[in-house]
Amino acid sequence: MRNILQKIKNAVRSRSIHVSYVDVGSCNGCDIEVLACLAPRYDIEQYGIYVHNNPREADVLLVIGSVTPQWVDKLRDIWEKIPEPKVAVAIGNCPISGCVYNRRGTLTTPPVENYIPIAASVPGCPPRPTEILSAILSVAPLIFKDYEENQK
Amino acid sequence: MKKTVDVSIPLGPVHPCWKEPVRLKCETAGERVLRTEVELGYMKKGIERIMRGRPWQEVMFLAERVCGICSVIHNMVFIEAMEEISDIAVPPRAAYLRVVANELDRIASHILANFSYCYTIEHETLAMYLLNTRETVLDNLERLTGSRINTAYMIPGGVRFDLLPEDAAAMLADLSKVEEEMQRHTRIFETGPLIALRSKGIGVMNHEEAIRSHTVGPTARASGVVCDLRLRHPTYRELGFTQVTRTEGDNFARVMVRFQEVFQSIDLIRKCIETLPDGPVRGGGFCKAGETSYAGEAPRGELTYSIKTDDYGRVVDIAIRTPSIMNIEACVHAMIPDATSIADVTATFISSDPCVACNER
Repeated sequence: MRNILQKIKNAVRSRSIHVSYVDVGSCNGCDIEVLACLAPRYDIEQYGIYVHNNPREADVLLVIGSVTPQWVDKLRDIWEKIPEPKVAVAIGNCPISGCVYNRRGTLTTPPVENYIPIAASVPGCPPRPTEILSAILSVAPLIFKDYEENQK
Repeated sequence: MKKTVDVSIPLGPVHPCWKEPVRLKCETAGERVLRTEVELGYMKKGIERIMRGRPWQEVMFLAERVCGICSVIHNMVFIEAMEEISDIAVPPRAAYLRVVANELDRIASHILANFSYCYTIEHETLAMYLLNTRETVLDNLERLTGSRINTAYMIPGGVRFDLLPEDAAAMLADLSKVEEEMQRHTRIFETGPLIALRSKGIGVMNHEEAIRSHTVGPTARASGVVCDLRLRHPTYRELGFTQVTRTEGDNFARVMVRFQEVFQSIDLIRKCIETLPDGPVRGGGFCKAGETSYAGEAPRGELTYSIKTDDYGRVVDIAIRTPSIMNIEACVHAMIPDATSIADVTATFISSDPCVACNER
């Protein structure tokens, strides 16, 4: 019985991924590349991915930008508000290394991994929309498949 | 103190309508918004602190990453400031190619701003049409510069790449397609009863308020203020640039100014490509010591770089003034209070095209 339930959950989750994005101090470049994924050319919704900015109903959190002082505690709060199962994807160089901002005199404190667990990262300054799309599509099933059974 | 406020409603920093983190605190009496306060500081990265003491070759890439949406104009203003300090002349062909790159970036930025507005008033159909048209524009930017967002196209004394004749022909063909699509989208916005009525007479900022609050760019031009630094730029004057002005000063006017400027930019690019002078695109030169303050017209308004360099071309001191800070303050103090209800706050705020990454750097 549990097995059937898990199979139904797997089938539903593979075609319904809710995405929320949070900008923790980037240059906007990655922001607008995530927005460009919505365009009919890339058509993110044909894969069952819905982008909206509500962490409480999200499955995937896209983290953009190196971490500024204001976000140090707020990023953790947002991560805790997302219901399980959840996954965070770092978009661009900034969350990975700080990119050009990680120099002497900076106010940022990269990487994002110090604050929340990151499952996948898409390097690039900024990455192309197709790369963002394929990262979400490849990482989400790995985490969500058989989630309840793996918890046992 | 007498209590006049019913509820203080916070919007943001993570909000479905904002693309970047910013917080608005609205004090309301019933549906009416009495006072609004903006809270910035979520994106402060300290770029100007990083820039100090670095050679111009590094500052050039940092300057583009002040803002990803209007990165070409940040590049252009920084490079033209360095050229003014060092007396470097630009070859005419390079000056025209700069205008092409800049106007392509402006079209992309204006379409994105109008996309955000349509998305905020929940007219998703038009928003998606606009976003698709923007992809065609970005393709052409990539064709010219090799990159979609952070292009690093301009360098002191010229531009990096020449525009090949076949690329120019393809660009002209794409631009006619963009123009045709944008005419349709403008008609949808202008004549559609649901969208236009939702925008007319909301968030009104009259001429006096626009001047008093020092607004710049399309936000000021929608209130009938004459302010466009392209009127003073030598290359734009050669091309016969005239500014777009509307007098209504409401959300509708601000969005329409951006639509009209897209057509104007398309005409400018056509004129550039048709009258493109022959010659080299890189003149060369040495960056010297000096101090200057140089301004250019970004998609959102006036952008100023004050730079001081030393003998080796290193940036000793730099201060950037970006346009959005004026528009956000004007929006918060002049557009939102009194006239609008709490339901219109997000649409009014987005109509002023706030760019938080620019503001806080």
